Amino acid sequence: MINFLFTSFGLLSSLGLFVVGAVSALLFNKHDKLSNWLGNLSAIFGSLFALIFSGNILISKVPQTVVLISNSQLFNTTLRVDLLSAFFIFVVSLLGLLCSIYGLSYVKHYYSKYNLGVLGFFYNLFIASMILVVSASNMLSFLIVWEIMSLASYFLVIYEHRDEENIKAGFLYFIMTHIGTAFIILSFLLLYRETSSLDFEIIKNNLTNSSSLIQSIIFISALVGFGTKAGIIPFHIWLPKAHPAAPSHVSALMSGVMIKTGIYMLVRIAFDVLPTTPLWWGVLVLVAGAVSSLLGVLYALSEHDFKRLLAYHSIENIGIILLGMGSSLIFLSLGMKSLAVLGLLAALYHTINHAVFKALLFLGAGAVISKTHTRNIEDYGGLIKYMPRTAFFFLIGSMAISALPPFNGFASEWLTFQSMFGGVASLGSLTKLLFILAIGALAFTSGLAVMCFVKVFGATFLARPRSSHVKEASEVSILMQFSMAALSLIALTLGLLAGWLSNIFSGIAISLRNLNNFVPDISSTIQSINLNGTAAMSMPTVFVLMIVVTAVIGILIYIVSGKQKVTHNITWDCGTNLTPRMEITATGFSRSVITIFKGILRPTQQTGVEYRDANLRYFPKSSSIHFELKDIYSIFFYKPVQELFLRVSEKTKKIQSGNINFYIMYIFLVLIGLLLIFVM
Amino acid sequence: MFESSPQLLFILGSIVFVSGVLLHLAKKNYLAVRIYILQSLAIGGLLLVSLLSDFSGLLLTAVVCTVIVKGLVAPYFFFKLIKKNQLQFSASTYLNTPVTLLFVALIVVLVRMIFVKSLQSFVGIDANLLLLALSTIFVSVFVLINRKGALSQILGVLSLENSIVSFALFAGLEQSPALQFGITFDILIWVMIASVFVTMIYKQFGTLDVTSMKNLTE
Amino acid sequence: MISIFAWIIQILLIPVFSPLFVGVTRKIKAKFQNRQGASIFQPYRDLWKLFHKDEVVSHDASWIFRFSPYIILALTVMVGGSIPLISLATKNNLLGDFLVLIYILAVGTFFLALSGMDTGGGFGGFGSSREMTVAALTEGGLICSLLTLVIASHTTNLFGMVNFGLGLPLQYLPAILLAFFSFCISLLAETARFPFDNPATHLELTMIHEAMILEHSGKGLAMMEWAAANKFLIFLSLAANLFFPFGIAVNLSLSSLLVATVVLVVKILLLCFGVAILESFTAKFRFFRLPDLLFTSFVISAIAIGLIF
Repeated sequence: MINFLFTSFGLLSSLGLFVVGAVSALLFNKHDKLSNWLGNLSAIFGSLFALIFSGNILISKVPQTVVLISNSQLFNTTLRVDLLSAFFIFVVSLLGLLCSIYGLSYVKHYYSKYNLGVLGFFYNLFIASMILVVSASNMLSFLIVWEIMSLASYFLVIYEHRDEENIKAGFLYFIMTHIGTAFIILSFLLLYRETSSLDFEIIKNNLTNSSSLIQSIIFISALVGFGTKAGIIPFHIWLPKAHPAAPSHVSALMSGVMIKTGIYMLVRIAFDVLPTTPLWWGVLVLVAGAVSSLLGVLYALSEHDFKRLLAYHSIENIGIILLGMGSSLIFLSLGMKSLAVLGLLAALYHTINHAVFKALLFLGAGAVISKTHTRNIEDYGGLIKYMPRTAFFFLIGSMAISALPPFNGFASEWLTFQSMFGGVASLGSLTKLLFILAIGALAFTSGLAVMCFVKVFGATFLARPRSSHVKEASEVSILMQFSMAALSLIALTLGLLAGWLSNIFSGIAISLRNLNNFVPDISSTIQSINLNGTAAMSMPTVFVLMIVVTAVIGILIYIVSGKQKVTHNITWDCGTNLTPRMEITATGFSRSVITIFKGILRPTQQTGVEYRDANLRYFPKSSSIHFELKDIYSIFFYKPVQELFLRVSEKTKKIQSGNINFYIMYIFLVLIGLLLIFVM
Repeated sequence: MFESSPQLLFILGSIVFVSGVLLHLAKKNYLAVRIYILQSLAIGGLLLVSLLSDFSGLLLTAVVCTVIVKGLVAPYFFFKLIKKNQLQFSASTYLNTPVTLLFVALIVVLVRMIFVKSLQSFVGIDANLLLLALSTIFVSVFVLINRKGALSQILGVLSLENSIVSFALFAGLEQSPALQFGITFDILIWVMIASVFVTMIYKQFGTLDVTSMKNLTE
Repeated sequence: MISIFAWIIQILLIPVFSPLFVGVTRKIKAKFQNRQGASIFQPYRDLWKLFHKDEVVSHDASWIFRFSPYIILALTVMVGGSIPLISLATKNNLLGDFLVLIYILAVGTFFLALSGMDTGGGFGGFGSSREMTVAALTEGGLICSLLTLVIASHTTNLFGMVNFGLGLPLQYLPAILLAFFSFCISLLAETARFPFDNPATHLELTMIHEAMILEHSGKGLAMMEWAAANKFLIFLSLAANLFFPFGIAVNLSLSSLLVATVVLVVKILLLCFGVAILESFTAKFRFFRLPDLLFTSFVISAIAIGLIF
C-alpha cells in the first residue's frame, strides 16, 4: 500500500482527494457538520498521501515526473517533482495535515454563522493548488495554478465577510497579488521570448546566449513579482492585513507555506533557470533580506493585534531566508561553491523551520482567540492558568521563533550565521562591509525577536487577567491540542536532527543546476554538523545536557534545601490593591524600543484631556492618549508612487472630453499614423 | 470578373465616393438622407454588376433585399425620425466647407501615398478602383469626426459600411449571399434601435448636437 | 584518570568560584568608598542563608516562575563547563561554538524576563522590558566582537580561538584590542554592571536585573543570584582567555595547570579591579543613553573586523 503511494499515483491520488473534498464539502454545504468533516478529512488524507510521496522522493533522491494530461506544447500538464519541488510539497503537506486536524475542531465555531461548504471548497482547492504550484513544469500551467492559489486564498481571507475590515484586507491582498502576477508574467514573457519555449526544463538549457540585460530584467521582475507573494519589504503591505483576517488554520497555512511558494520560484529562477548570476543580484537580495528582517521585527514589536504581530514576524523570517539566499548568490557569482551550498542550505532549512513554528504560533493564537473572542493582546493575561497546555505549546513556538536552542529556529539561524561568516572571512572590502552589516542586522533581529516573544508570551499568558474576556477561557479541544503538540514535537525534532537534515538539504541544493554535483565541505552526522575545520555544533548534545544538568541541579538543591517550605501569598503590592493596571502592558513593554528606533518608526503621540470644569481646568475628568506609528515604507515608497500616479492621471484626464467626435478622431489619427509607419 | 465593364464600375465607384463627400457638405438632414439613398443604390448597382458574371438566385435575392433595406426601409425610418423631432438644422460641422474639402483632398492624397505600392500586388484589378474605395472609407470616418449631429454620425457609419462593401467588391472577394443577408439584417436592426435611441436622446437633451451633450448627470 | 579529574574541575570551577569574585569586586568598591566592606566570602554566606530560608511564591505566578531559577542556573553551569578556563585539553567540539554559548545564555535571559513578568508586579514588568531592550541591542556588539576573533582564527570554536591567540599574532593586535574594548561593553551590559545597571540598587528608576528577581525568595533567589555571579565570571573568563590567552595550559601536566590557574586568577582579578573602578568613578547612564553605547560597541567591532586583512 505504501509502495503504491511512492509512485506518481501517490501525488495523483492526493490531488484527487483534494478535489473530492472540495466538491463534496460544497455539495453538502447545508449540513455544517458533514461538510466540515468531509472537507477536512479529505484534506487530511490528501496531505498524508502527498507527504509520503514527497518524503520518499527526498530520501531516495530520485526525481519523478507525473503526467496529468500531455497534449500539445501549449497545454502541457506534467508535474515535474525534483528534489526541490519534493521538499516544498513535503512542507505544504506537513502543514496541511496538521492544520486540517486542527481545523476539524476549530471551524466548529463557524457552525450556523457562515457557510462551511464554501470554506471546505476553497480550503481544499488552496492546498491542492499550492502543491501544483511547486511542481508545475510549464510556465502556462504554473500561471494558471498560481492564479487559482491566489483566488482561493482571497476567498478564504474574506471568509468572515460580515466584518468590514476583512473585506478591505482581502481587496488589498487581491490588488497586490495581481501586481505581483503582472511582474511574474513579464518575467515569463521575456523567458519565452529568449527561448521560444514554455517548459522550464527546455528553458534551462537554452538561455546561454541571451544578453545579460535581459537576464537582469527577468531576475528583477521575478524578484518583485515573487517578492510580493513572499512578503519582502516594501511589497509586503497586504501581509499584515490579510493574514489576521483569515480563519486561524488558514492563516497558519498562508503564513507557513503560501509565502514560501514565492521563495520556491525565486530559488528555481536564480539557481536553476538563469545560467549566470552577477554579483549585484546577490547583494540586492541580501540587502532586501536585511531590511525586511529588521523592519519586520520592529513593526512586530509595536503591534498588539495578536495575529498581525505574527504576520510581521513572517516578514522578518522571510528576511532571514533571503539573507541565506543572498549570501549564496554572492558566493555563487564569485565561484565559491562550497559557501554557496551552505547559504542555500541555511535558507531551505529555515523555510521548513519557519513553516513549522509559525504554524504552531498561529494555531496557538487561534486557540486563544477562539476562547477569548478578542485579538487584542492588552485584553489577555493569566491565560496560563486557564489554558495550560496551549500555553506550553505556545512557549515552545516562542522559543523556536526566537532561535533559542534546542529548537529548530536556532539550527537554521546558526547555519545562516555561518554562511555569512564565511563571506566576511574571504571577500574584498566592500562586500565584507556588506556582510558585516548583514550579520549585525541578523544579530539585532534575533535579539529583538526574543524581546517580542517575551512580550507576547508574558502579556498573554502570565500574570493576572487584564480583562473579563480571559475569565471565560478554557482549554481547547483534544484535536487542536494534538496539532499543536505534534508541531511542537516536530519543532524539537527538526532541531535535534540538524546534522542529518543538513545532509539532505545540501543534497537538494546540489541538485539545482548552478550548483550541480558539487560536494560541499559539510560533514554531518546525526549527532553534529561539522563544517570542515571551521565550525561544529551538536544540537542533541545541547538538548541532553540541558535536561541532565537541570535535573542534577534540581536534585542537589533538593538535598540542600528540601526542608524549606514554600508558602503562597499575594504579589508585592506596595500597600494598595492589586489591579490589572499594575502589570506591564504590551504597549509599555515595547515603548523603549520604539523610542530608541524613532528615526525609523516615527511614532506620534497625542494626548487629550477632558476637565470637570471647562473654565477652571484644574481637575481632569478623563484623559486619553493616542499612540501611532507611521509606516516608513508607505512614506518613502507608496506615497510618492501614488502622488506621481495621481498627477499623471490628472494631466491625461484632459483627453477624455466626453465628446464622441474627439474619440473617433483619436482612432482615425492613430490609424493613419500606424499605416504611415508600417506600410510606408 | 469585371473586365466586361470597367467604366460602369468606375462610374458607380465614383458615385459612392462623391456621395461620401457630399455627406460632409449637406446642410439639411433630408438632403443627407437622400444622398445616402443614392449611395445605397450605387452599391446595389455594383452588386448587380458582379452578379452578371456569377449568377446565383440566392445572391440576387440578397442583393434585392439589401437594396430594399438600404434604399427604402432605412431612409423611411430616418424620415420618420426627422419629422417627429423636427430635426431641421442640426447637421452642422466643426470645420467650415472649404476647410472640409481641403481635408478630404488631403485624405485622398494620403491614401494614395500609403497604399499605392501594396495595391500593385493585387492581380487583375485596377488599382485606381481600390484607391477610390479606400478613400471612400476614410472619408466616411472623417464624416464621423467632422459632423456634430447624431443623425449624421449614423449616416456616416452606414456610408462606411457601404464603402467597405465596395472595396470588397473591387478587390474581387467572394460575394456570398450569407454575407449580404447578414449585413442586411444587421443594418435593419441597427437602424431601428438607433432611431429609438436618437428619439430618447432628443427627448433628454432637447437637441442632437453632441457638443451640448456634456453633462450626463441630470 | 587525569582527564576525568580535569573535567570535573572544569565544570565546577565557575559555580564554585563565582561568588568569590563577586565578593572581591564588592570589596574593592568598598575600599574606594573608604569603608572596610564585607569579607570577600560574604556572598557564600548569603547563598547559604537563602538556601535555608522559606520561599514565598505569588498566587499569580505559574510554573515558569518556579522553574526558571533551576533552568537559568543549569544553563550557566553548562556554559561554564564549555569555555576555555585553565586548559585546552578540555576542548569541546560539541559545545564549544561561540554562537551556541551566546544563545544558551539567551535562553536564560528569556526565562529570566518571563519570570519577571510572571508575578504581575509593576517592578518585574518594567524590569523585563528594560532587560530585553538592552539584551536585544547587545547581541549585535557581542556577536561582532567575537566575530573579529573568528575571522582572525578561521574557526568559531572558542578553544580554536584561544589556540590561535597563543601563537601571539601581533599583526592582529589593533583589531584584537578594539574587539576587546567592544567585548567589554557587551560584558558590562550582559552582567548588569555599570553603566547599564546597578547591582546594588532597588530603586525603580535604576534597577534592571534586580527588578526581575525582586519577587524571588529563598532558594529561588539564591539560584538567581548564583546564576548572575556565574554569568559574571563566565564573561570575565572569556574576556581574559580569548583576547589575552597567554598562560593557558595546552595539556594536562600538573605544573602547567597550576601556572594556568594562577595566571587566570590574576587576569580575572585585574578585570574585577577594572569593573570596580568603573563602578566607583562613573555614574550609571540614563536608560536612553545605553543604546548609543551598544551601537558604538557594534561599530567598533565592525572597524576591528575591517582591520583584519
